[in-house]
Amino acid sequence: MERLLRDKKAIFLFTFPTFLLFTVIVVLPIFFSIHYSTLEWDGFSQGTFVGLANYKSLFVNNTDGFLQSIINSLILALISVGIQLPISLLLALIIARGVRGENFFRTVYFIPVIISTVVIGQLWMKIYNSDYGMLNTVLRAAGLDQYTKPWLADTHTALAAVFIAMLWQYIGYHMLLMYAGAKSISPDIYEAARIDGASEAQMALHVTIPLMKPILCVCVIFAVTGSFKAFDLIYVMTGGGPLHSTEVPTTLMYTTIFSRYQYGYGSAMAIFIIAECLIFTLVIQKLFHQNAEG
Amino acid sequence: MKTKRLFAGILGLSILMASFTACSGQQPANSAASEKGAASAASADDSAEKITLTFWNNYTNDSNHVMSGIIDKWNADHPNIHIEANSTENNAYKVKIKTAMSANNAPDIIYTWAGGFTQPFVEAGKILPLDEYLNDGTKDKMLSGALTNITYDGKVYGLTYNQQAGALYVNDELFKQNNVKVPTTFDELLTAVKAFKKAGLVPMAVGEKDKWPGMWYYDMIALREGGSQLCLDALNKKVSFDQPAFVNAAQKLEELVDAGAFAEDVLSQTRDESVAQFSQGKIPMYFGGNFDAQVIDQSLEGKVSAVKFPTISDGDGVDTEYLGGGADALCVNANTEHKDEAVQAVKYLAENFSSSMYLTGAGLPEWNYDSIDESKIDPLSKQIMEDIVQGSTGSVPAWDLYLTGNDAQTHQDLVQSLFGKQITPEDFGKQTQSKINKAA
Repeated sequence: MERLLRDKKAIFLFTFPTFLLFTVIVVLPIFFSIHYSTLEWDGFSQGTFVGLANYKSLFVNNTDGFLQSIINSLILALISVGIQLPISLLLALIIARGVRGENFFRTVYFIPVIISTVVIGQLWMKIYNSDYGMLNTVLRAAGLDQYTKPWLADTHTALAAVFIAMLWQYIGYHMLLMYAGAKSISPDIYEAARIDGASEAQMALHVTIPLMKPILCVCVIFAVTGSFKAFDLIYVMTGGGPLHSTEVPTTLMYTTIFSRYQYGYGSAMAIFIIAECLIFTLVIQKLFHQNAEG
Repeated sequence: MKTKRLFAGILGLSILMASFTACSGQQPANSAASEKGAASAASADDSAEKITLTFWNNYTNDSNHVMSGIIDKWNADHPNIHIEANSTENNAYKVKIKTAMSANNAPDIIYTWAGGFTQPFVEAGKILPLDEYLNDGTKDKMLSGALTNITYDGKVYGLTYNQQAGALYVNDELFKQNNVKVPTTFDELLTAVKAFKKAGLVPMAVGEKDKWPGMWYYDMIALREGGSQLCLDALNKKVSFDQPAFVNAAQKLEELVDAGAFAEDVLSQTRDESVAQFSQGKIPMYFGGNFDAQVIDQSLEGKVSAVKFPTISDGDGVDTEYLGGGADALCVNANTEHKDEAVQAVKYLAENFSSSMYLTGAGLPEWNYDSIDESKIDPLSKQIMEDIVQGSTGSVPAWDLYLTGNDAQTHQDLVQSLFGKQITPEDFGKQTQSKINKAA
């Protein structure tokens, strides 16, 4: 094995096909999009070069609510890290400590991740339905009629309603990552801690979590970039509506390109999302490293 | 040095890719051109040689099989004139055909929408005038007025075969049960809305998550407020949208919203969901297109009628005007190599599309339908045809047929804001004008 890794030719041979595939499918289209984003183009006819005008109209005198959509995606990132990850961590820690039915719970929490997003969307739309939805039915049964709402049709509640569904779907995903991280910690350390008289809570706080730092870093990056890229569930449940209240950059990009035929402008949005994700990934990594050293 | 070469490589590759993608968009046109070339070269040698007519259309929905059946039959009957059809999704088709037109890459036979959409093509001389071909009795086979929307400057540029018409579907059973009169004026409509509301029913169906169903409501009310001429003038950028008729129409829509005419979750309902609720007999009224007739008839057989949308007492519109008429039409490319054959094919296709679509409830005819077995026609479609379309004095197509891409989307967004009560009727008029009609 070691000899193999020292053989430069072998390394090249094994990585080149993937590298090529990656370049053609991921890297090149990004360059195309960068090119498109400098055009005023309807996607069919000849585009005209407009330089950075598309980027300018994203932020200066913007009329399509792009800034609001960024704020929405930032809110999603914030509650992803602040609410979703703690829940995942708690579940992971409990399950990893060997509760009865460990496998069962692990599987159950992971199920939403496996199910198609369209199905999840339909499921939650039925829950939120103002007429026969589970949420309103429960509220009515509890005599709380004044709190029933058309959850997805009300601009005040739609965003929260969609975000809750999104958080719910990926709790299991982060839980599984963290569970694997917690499981890989050597039992010797726990034994030592127990001999020193540490309680379960102390062990979790001072042993497990610090040792899970690398995997936590990965989870935070996934949660944040995932929030910026989020599209499918929002598209299925509200399509960015009602009245643009659940619009995030990706849904706005979709309508801009495919309904308004503004390929250039939409591509500028796409490039912005890519840049946003890259920058946040770097910043988060930096923060975790500093923390680890300090 | 190395990085430079890598960069050159990437650039080279991207150019290659770009030319690939650029080509794929035009491929049908290119192949059509080469086939045309081949066909014309061949016909010089042997006049009985097989020719190919290219035909682009938007038949990607459920009526597709009716169309392709007719095209197949033509091809079987005319071994020497082969129609090669190419279907593209509706919205993409609009852009595709415009592009091909401007690049002189259009097919021999062109599917288009009569009215504003085709006008620029005609003005650019890209469409063949058909007058000299139509005196063989073709005109007599068509309904009066069928060619009005495809006539520009006194010349006919295409043959229509299907039209749209909006109708107020009313569930007679629910009206009878609740002792409500079917409304003929807007005030009666408001009264009916309030009566149904009191009885615990959602009075009117609209799937405003999809945006365009609500637009149909607004466009219809605007027609009753301003009359067809004013609406067409505004859509053609001749007059402003910021005037009483369009503001009042927005006001009327607000009145319906305020009276509780629509479900409280109207903004999250798709059109399919709203039509389903109407078809289940839960909702008494629905303003929709004739294309909904088939589904409604199947589930509420005989319990529903299609009536004219109520008039507004101080509006300029009359009850003989309707939303629709934006007919589907077939045109012949002015640059086609085979004018006679293409016109012959267009006549055949238009006539047969017309009767097949009427029969199946998919459309309203533009050609005589006396020969069609009356009992087999979808009853609601027949009602719309006889009560709303025949004897009409004017019509305006749903505005998204007139406005394209960005403008259509903007109009739909603005109407949705009315449903969500996010803008006032005054602002609606102002914004429609400033965002859509800058030129006027």
